[in-house]
Amino acid sequence: MLDFSLVNVLGACLIITSMTVVLARTGAGAAKLYALQSAVLVSLLAVLGTVTGSTELYMWSVSAFITKVVLVPCILLFVLKKITATAPGVAVDLPPKLAPMKCVALVAVEVFACFVVVSGIDLPTAAAVKPTLAVAFAHFFIGLTCIVIQRSVVKQIFGYCLMENGSHVTLALLAPQAPELVEIGIATDAIFAVVILSVMVLTLARKAHTLDADDLCELKG
Amino acid sequence: MEIVVAIVQALLLVAAAPLMSGIARKIRAKMHSRQGASVFQDYYDLAKLWKRTEVRAGTAGLVTRIMPPLFLATFVVIAAGLPLITRACPVPLLGDVITVLYLMALPRFVFSLASIDSGASYTSIGGIRELIVGVLVEPALMLVLVVMALACGSTNVGTMATSVATFTATPPVAVVVAGVAFAIACYMEMGKVPFDMAEAEQEIQEGPLAELSGPSLAMLKLGMSVKQAVVAGLFIALFLPVGAAASMAPLDLIVGFVALIVKMLVVFLVVSVIENAVIRVRYKYLGRYTWFAVGIAALSFVFLIIGI
Amino acid sequence: MLELLYASLGLSVAGAVLALVAGRSPRAAKAVACVFGMLAALASFGSGAIALTSPAALVTFVGPMPFTNFTLLLNPLAGLLMCVISVLAFVAWLYGLSYFDEYLDRGMGSIGFFMNLFIASMMLVILSDNAFWFLVFFELMSLTSYMLVIVEQNEKSFKGGFLYLVMAHIGFLMIAISFFLMATATGSLEFESFREAAFEPGLATAAFFLAFFGFGAKAGIVPFHSWLPQAHPAAPSNVSALMSGGMIKIGIFGICKVCFDLLGAAGGQVSWGIVVVIIGAVSSVLGVAYALREHDLKSLLAYHSVENIGIILLGVGTGIVGWASGNVWLAGIGLMAGLYHLVNHAMFKGLLFLGAGSVLHATGTRNMEILGGLARVMPVTAVCFLMGSLAISAIPPLNGFVSEWFTYQGLIGAAMTDDILLRVVFAFAVVALAITGALAVTCFVKAFGVTFLGEARSDAARNAHEVPLPMKASMVLLTVICVALGLGAAWFTPLFSDIASSVLAAPAAPAATGAVLVSLDTASAVSPLLIFVLLACVFAVCLLMRNAANAKAGVVRDEDPWACGYAPDTHMEALASTVGAHVGSNLTPLYTLRSGVNGAGNAVANFVQHAVAPEDAAADAAKGAQDGATRPLSDSVLSVVHSLGTWFSRLESGDFRTYIVYIVVALVFFLALIILVR
Repeated sequence: MLDFSLVNVLGACLIITSMTVVLARTGAGAAKLYALQSAVLVSLLAVLGTVTGSTELYMWSVSAFITKVVLVPCILLFVLKKITATAPGVAVDLPPKLAPMKCVALVAVEVFACFVVVSGIDLPTAAAVKPTLAVAFAHFFIGLTCIVIQRSVVKQIFGYCLMENGSHVTLALLAPQAPELVEIGIATDAIFAVVILSVMVLTLARKAHTLDADDLCELKG
Repeated sequence: MEIVVAIVQALLLVAAAPLMSGIARKIRAKMHSRQGASVFQDYYDLAKLWKRTEVRAGTAGLVTRIMPPLFLATFVVIAAGLPLITRACPVPLLGDVITVLYLMALPRFVFSLASIDSGASYTSIGGIRELIVGVLVEPALMLVLVVMALACGSTNVGTMATSVATFTATPPVAVVVAGVAFAIACYMEMGKVPFDMAEAEQEIQEGPLAELSGPSLAMLKLGMSVKQAVVAGLFIALFLPVGAAASMAPLDLIVGFVALIVKMLVVFLVVSVIENAVIRVRYKYLGRYTWFAVGIAALSFVFLIIGI
Repeated sequence: MLELLYASLGLSVAGAVLALVAGRSPRAAKAVACVFGMLAALASFGSGAIALTSPAALVTFVGPMPFTNFTLLLNPLAGLLMCVISVLAFVAWLYGLSYFDEYLDRGMGSIGFFMNLFIASMMLVILSDNAFWFLVFFELMSLTSYMLVIVEQNEKSFKGGFLYLVMAHIGFLMIAISFFLMATATGSLEFESFREAAFEPGLATAAFFLAFFGFGAKAGIVPFHSWLPQAHPAAPSNVSALMSGGMIKIGIFGICKVCFDLLGAAGGQVSWGIVVVIIGAVSSVLGVAYALREHDLKSLLAYHSVENIGIILLGVGTGIVGWASGNVWLAGIGLMAGLYHLVNHAMFKGLLFLGAGSVLHATGTRNMEILGGLARVMPVTAVCFLMGSLAISAIPPLNGFVSEWFTYQGLIGAAMTDDILLRVVFAFAVVALAITGALAVTCFVKAFGVTFLGEARSDAARNAHEVPLPMKASMVLLTVICVALGLGAAWFTPLFSDIASSVLAAPAAPAATGAVLVSLDTASAVSPLLIFVLLACVFAVCLLMRNAANAKAGVVRDEDPWACGYAPDTHMEALASTVGAHVGSNLTPLYTLRSGVNGAGNAVANFVQHAVAPEDAAADAAKGAQDGATRPLSDSVLSVVHSLGTWFSRLESGDFRTYIVYIVVALVFFLALIILVR
């Protein structure tokens, strides 16, 4: 039971939860779903650690839990509250540009394409987890999809976080024995990036009074 | 022995179908904070209609006369072949998924034909909508059944049910996502609100049922309830084979029988709650929801190919 | 076997000549043509039936000059096509005994002449074993059918006939090039030498695809289908039945012959089968989608021919994939499903066209919008048309369901492989076939319901009458055959399996035991007879109970349908346009595709028209001053540049998200480049 097939199953759950993050309608909902997605990610890392017998992955899963499941959603929920408090009248929850069915279809196509790419790669460390590697690789594109189709910049932050998650899982799958210093670097990178993006979003809300990416194309100076 | 099981489950579905719609009505009443009619109201309605004189429109011909019995007969035959009480089909020759899907096309054909036969405008629009719903839901159903056939190695519903029950259907997540897609597609096929396009009380005044009366109407209403039970039964047979009898031993059969009743009740409970919490989807937006189901089915197919 | 064949050909030619000679008295010409035609059909049916079950026979004729040598081959596949065309020919001539009364003053002699020659040339095309003579008879077939298409001598039939001729010749050219490729490689025009030569893969692929698209243009695959809905409705209805049921099957026959027989020595390639399956799937969906927008009964049926050719190609494509990859069961069941559907389609399409002809004969119009309520005045026609509609919608337990069941099993069995491409292609094909089935149900509910049910919407429909006996008899005969092919499927299946195995030169895969149809690799079975018996019993029980209740409580008639308190009007019913509008709003992309595809066909016809009519071009040039010759050139260059510019300007959208996508695409592209170069 506790072997690579469980890793693959968790990889599939990762896709499903990421899709819900992309399709989420409210910012708060997206934050909670992102927390769920990161929880699945943490369990994936933990199971991977048990299967490959690498203690670094356990440390990594703990730090990922603290940063991705707890800190990042809290920061984003805080930002959402601040926006409604300091800049009322700014619409946060805008509908995406693409209908739900086309999103699902696009995600399916991306996963399929990444699988075709990955099946051409021959790496001894990743032989048994090829499906999950395809999933992790596809997360990069799913995050990109989220950024491109969402109209609200707050949801675009979630897209960026999804891309990060994808690259982290890829690293975990391909190099399970990476030293702890790497994970500290990754953790700081995630937190700082999200903090900086949130500050920018708050400034946008206050100064430009809009969070709609279509309007923000008109910014000058 | 299998013949007895087949007959028993067909009769069970026919007998219990009005009870299911009665329970749905009761749940709606409770959600609206009122008493509501008795759970057995549909039986009383059918008995009352059976005794009434039938009124036939002048233009209605042979097709209208044979439609209600043919509708009911086809669903009874389909019900006899599904693996509801047992894991394997009681009548394997009726258990192929292509056979089941195309047998379900026969009632739809005569139903819509009879609606055009009556010569009334609301009736015929209801019949045409029924056909359109069939066209839009078919891709999702077929794609899920292809995924299941590839996952279980056969197109026989009984073999699929046995594979799912013994967890030998690989890959697992594809089967689960296919189950979700199939649940959505079956919900639309059942014609429950928000997807009751054919009857659409608010828009087209009961649709094709408007021109029928007396025993024909009773038989058709029973047939439509049996259709909903059969579609729910198909979903239960494929994706919820928990408790179904693995062999023909009497104890297993009794357990399977009880398990079937419990599963049906649970499914209809969930369906009723959803049905009474939403309003009908506007006809022109039907396409969005059906293509969403197709998208999820496509996702399950991608999972199947990937091997997750 | 051979004697019957010669007798049949002799009778056809005699019938043709005598009809022409008796042209001055149309009734005699009609009688002569029909009687000789029916006798010839009986003879060729006998010959074909014997050929089905005997080993292949090769007959050579040596003539005075080298080019007059030709060979005939009677193998099971040819025998099958002969039987199919003979049945349709017999039924068409029987029908014509009454139907041709309308055409007595429009050159009955020529109609009899061309129709007999048409049938004879079809037989000879099937039997030819020499490339040159194959092409000669193919051309003869196209020409005689063209003459029959333009029999009405009005604007529409001329246009349809011309488009048909252009498409037929495009197909002819491609087939000719394919044969000459093979002939130059082997040095002889005999099919026997093609059979023995193992062509190299490149040549074989080129020959296959040329032959596929050439025969496909004859069969009516997308994108060569635009002539079907214009040519078939213009011909007399029994000729349409013969063309739609028989002639387009020769396209399928050609594809099978070239692929399995002529190119067989080298073995096929899986890519051929994949292309065939994809084109089959696309043809079937587009064919039925376009049929839904038609108001003309015969155009609707012609589009359905496109759909069913697509379904046949799905089976044949599965067979090619199985044969090329060495999967004996898959090859057998795929090809068998294709051949079974070929026979079924010929039967029910013939029946439906004859039914449409009966409607035309009785009311004088094919426009469904103004008909209605015909079932009361034409009960036999209505029942036959209903059976044909049920058969074509693949409703169990009729014959359409049986062949589509086998097609599905073949497609799903082919998807049970590890090759990703095959899985995706066959899953797509299954979904396309499912959509086709549902749309076909919609279309035939509309066709039958709007034409035969409801209230009569015009005087033409009110004054209709039942058709004469010969027409009724031919329709009933075809109905009985359809029902027999469905209920008795378990007894016909071994025959089709044997034919398929003789084509593939492989052992037959068992597909039926007792009264049950079996599919081995997908571990499943069905019995149409059992379904019929069960349905009939339960239906009878329900019907009796309902009628008993009616007898007790009574039935009241003559109420108008409910129309919100208004007096009901015949315009309140659902019309053909209603159904078309509903489907069109839900499936818009398919219809916008039509203008592109049909436009291409018409553009080709226009181009050919201008090429062969230089006096029109000269008149245009004289009208348009000195730069009349160069103006079109500069105009077209300018418009191309303009449209290119408009298209490219859309790349610069001003939205930062598209620029992100460009960056990522460039990144992925360069990564891929690195990997590939490495």
